[in-house]
Amino acid sequence: MKRLVLGLYVTVITPCLCYGGEADSTAWRLDELLVTTRKPLKEIGLQSTKIDSAALKENIAQSMADILTYNSALYVKSHGRATMSTIAFRGTSAGHTQVSWNGMRINSPMLGTTDFSTIPSYFIDKADLLHGTSGVSETGGGLGGIVNLGTSPDAAEGLRMQYVQGVGSFKTFDEFAKLSWRRKRLTLSTRIALSTSPNDYLYTNHDRKVNIYDDQHNIVGQYYPRERNSSGAFRDLHILQEAYYKPVTGQRIGFNLWYTDSRRELPLLTTDYGSERRFENVHRNGSLRCMASWNLYGEQWTVDVRSGYMYDRNHYNYSREMADGLWSKLTSSRSFSHTIYGKAEANWSPRRNIQIKADLAGHQYLVSSRDDQVVQVNGQDAVIGYNAQRFELSAAVTARWRPVDAVGISGILRQEICGRRIAPLIPALLADWRVLVHRFDKQTIFEWTLLASGSRNFRMPTLNDLFFMPGGNPQLRNEHGYSCDAGMKFSFSHARRLALELSANVFESRIYDWILWLPTTKGFFSPRNVKQVHAYGLESKLKGAVNLGGGWHTDISAAYSWTPSVNCGPAASAADQSVGRQLPYVPRTSASFIGRLAWNSWGFSYKWAHYSERFTMTSNQNTLSGSLPPYFMNNISIDKAFNIRQIGVHLRLAVNNLFNEDYISVLGRPMPGINYEFFVSVNL
Amino acid sequence: MQIIKTLPLSLLVLCTGCMERTDLPPEDFDAAGRGLFIVCEGNFQYGNATLNYYNPADNSVQHEVFIRANGMKLGDVANYMTVYDNRAWIVVNNSHVIFAINPVTFKEVGRISDFTSPREICFVSPDKAYVSQLWDNRIFIINPQTYSITGYITVPGMDTARGSTEQMVKYGDYVYCSCWSYQRTVIKIDTKTDRVVQTIDVGIQPSSMALDRDGKLWVLTDGGYDGSPYGHETPTLSKIDAETGAIEKQMKFKLQDSPRALQLNATRDTLYWLNDHVWRMSIEAKRLPLRPFINGRGTKYYSMTIDPSNSDVYVADAIDYSQQGMIYRYTSSGNLVNQFYVGVNPGAFCWNDSKQEGRGK
Repeated sequence: MKRLVLGLYVTVITPCLCYGGEADSTAWRLDELLVTTRKPLKEIGLQSTKIDSAALKENIAQSMADILTYNSALYVKSHGRATMSTIAFRGTSAGHTQVSWNGMRINSPMLGTTDFSTIPSYFIDKADLLHGTSGVSETGGGLGGIVNLGTSPDAAEGLRMQYVQGVGSFKTFDEFAKLSWRRKRLTLSTRIALSTSPNDYLYTNHDRKVNIYDDQHNIVGQYYPRERNSSGAFRDLHILQEAYYKPVTGQRIGFNLWYTDSRRELPLLTTDYGSERRFENVHRNGSLRCMASWNLYGEQWTVDVRSGYMYDRNHYNYSREMADGLWSKLTSSRSFSHTIYGKAEANWSPRRNIQIKADLAGHQYLVSSRDDQVVQVNGQDAVIGYNAQRFELSAAVTARWRPVDAVGISGILRQEICGRRIAPLIPALLADWRVLVHRFDKQTIFEWTLLASGSRNFRMPTLNDLFFMPGGNPQLRNEHGYSCDAGMKFSFSHARRLALELSANVFESRIYDWILWLPTTKGFFSPRNVKQVHAYGLESKLKGAVNLGGGWHTDISAAYSWTPSVNCGPAASAADQSVGRQLPYVPRTSASFIGRLAWNSWGFSYKWAHYSERFTMTSNQNTLSGSLPPYFMNNISIDKAFNIRQIGVHLRLAVNNLFNEDYISVLGRPMPGINYEFFVSVNL
Repeated sequence: MQIIKTLPLSLLVLCTGCMERTDLPPEDFDAAGRGLFIVCEGNFQYGNATLNYYNPADNSVQHEVFIRANGMKLGDVANYMTVYDNRAWIVVNNSHVIFAINPVTFKEVGRISDFTSPREICFVSPDKAYVSQLWDNRIFIINPQTYSITGYITVPGMDTARGSTEQMVKYGDYVYCSCWSYQRTVIKIDTKTDRVVQTIDVGIQPSSMALDRDGKLWVLTDGGYDGSPYGHETPTLSKIDAETGAIEKQMKFKLQDSPRALQLNATRDTLYWLNDHVWRMSIEAKRLPLRPFINGRGTKYYSMTIDPSNSDVYVADAIDYSQQGMIYRYTSSGNLVNQFYVGVNPGAFCWNDSKQEGRGK
């Protein structure tokens, strides 16, 4: 094999069904299944999942939680639209998933988690998942993996406008507008999304019954009521302003500003007998994320310097009306966080097959958490809460080397510092070996690659873990562990007809000092290092695209994960039945499938997602009061694109919960039955 | 092997809907005779509270009897149960409801809802009972015959936001009630006027109480917690003359202790409580015991009851708070005679004995 870059993009065909100006949203993308005989050095050994750009732009009602549900085999824990949705890799918890937006970590510094339901997919242009060890290449703390979300400037010159309106069941309205302009070196873009809904779907409450009484107040009958999800309204507003400027060739300056304001109600539990009209359970969130960046792209050097600021405000009110106009405020939680961020990254490639990368990222967190309901002490008000600040530093040196074209090795040494906690050095080693490249003819190519990686990793306790009042535990130890994986990838493509990619990998990880919040004898919860967890299993993905001819195209994307995540103890007591059992709310298997069939400007999509039974108890017992059966969800959509003069119009009808299933995915939270949303997109 | 099993199954159901929930047909029970209800809180916001029934005579256990008898869930955080007037009353805190069930068939006979955050119920008479509350400065008055809320007792000096009334003990025409969360008093209510007539400062967060054979009210405080704006102090055990409300004696634990679940034996002359282990002490004792009665052995003792007929000790182990808890039954001399699993977080007991009102927490 010569050193010639055989980046033969055999399938760099773009049989896009470019509907007016909305190519992104419906693109048929064979070109995303590239078979290249040489991968970039930065991808050596990486176990990654790239979310198709077309999937991100499918419809404006989708959050990143929806996208990841159907485009990966990660476990997305959610109980409906506009409710807290978290992501977990490989049998770990949501706090073990690190999430970044344009390089800045956006996990809550207090909770450690990220709510993916607050990230509209139309606001993300690229999304990559790095599984297990691969995450160490970006940052530490991602014991399960990391999710990289980002935006990018439009490529097309001139002024472009897009407006999308969605109208759906339960009086749901989604609106999205994008205005972008590019001329020579300057690109400007503004995106606005607004979603509102009373979200008052009907469901049958199987968890309680309504009594029928006779005149003597004897119960003479009972039935399961049909109820409305009457406290589930939401209003989400997002504004994203971006500007990119290229002062000279090879350099880019970027500025991103993302503002979010949302008001979301949280419905009553199905077992709550309180009056819905005398009840308030509302979460208000406001956030501002700003980012300035400078990129240099040279022949041997690439440099990325960025700095950002993030503000996050969360107000949570839980009140009940005691008498007319007199409310008991059970919770009035207020939390504020400020994050100042800076990062510098340099890649140096002294030779074609060697790359050295150094990165340094710092996050300064300042948080305030309190409950506005004060306590009276000797006639004085006392606030329950805490203020804290912490500086987190992550620095790494990475060396990548391809001694021969078929083999790549990457070594990482990462150092993490959180406040006064200094984690031991995190080493990671990644490698790949292209075992076989076979060219059947000029247009047909088959490739087989093996990948392997291993690392140790650490995760520091969150600020709530350490300082929350009441219950914070400053004595907590860092979670720590190691993970390794090995897998293979097959790629096959044939000219303009067919592209297939199949990958499978097995993984193994151990996590020690797992942090769990447990009740105390004082009536509140407190975190403790309690568990050792052994997570292992298999991940597999299949992507395929076929050009059937005659204007027909089809593509599929499927993912399957088998993720036992076992509590290895120690046993809490002799009666403990949890040792050797699957962790609660972690499915052993998860799977997803998307199939799309297109004919000229018509398209039909079918989406399916599955999670196996999730246990609600650590002992994995199934009880009548606390079991979650396997989850299967089926959605379809039909779309049509056409042009009216210079205006591109795209219509889409989406049907969710196709089989009108009466189900729950989290205890006590009923989900909507079959529901519809119709979208009209206009592009100039 | 598991992959091979599950992958085809996943594909098989690809185009089908199969998550339909099936309704549970009610089951018939006949629990005539003496027995022990074990109320399991479940996990907060899971709605997985359960009611379990134990027959001490033959050591048999019936799990989840409420949902099995009624075809519906008990709710979220079941907190307390008592039997009065041939009905068993279950207070389900975060479901904001009190169920009345037939203690033999476990079938629901009535319910009362619209509480702020109900904690316990105390019967004053067949047509009046008090319900203590969290996040409220009022005790609710209910009519058990009509299953309705008939009035309120406002606790003087207690603000609404951090209001807390907890355990109640009836003494003659009075009811004593501990004010627990971010409070430090025990209040005395005149049941004739439904007014608070006395407030007794016993220390930070009085959690549980018991009335002995001599008419003395024993009160445990938990002392708050480290860093609490309300303060953190040494937990105490106070002896109060129920007639006058005067504190006669106060014994101090260690600062880091968390005493709770105060109980009396069958003859009401020996106190039992939990503090990592099971402790007991004669009501005549001058100071707290130095050694536990039953060693905890790594368990998470969560609640306790003493058999009012023979002083057998029943201790609940919550284990890790997320699995079925274990009940250990000891004789009054501390010998383990039986153990059995129940539901998640067994937090309260109730004796089903037609001769006397059951109580236990």
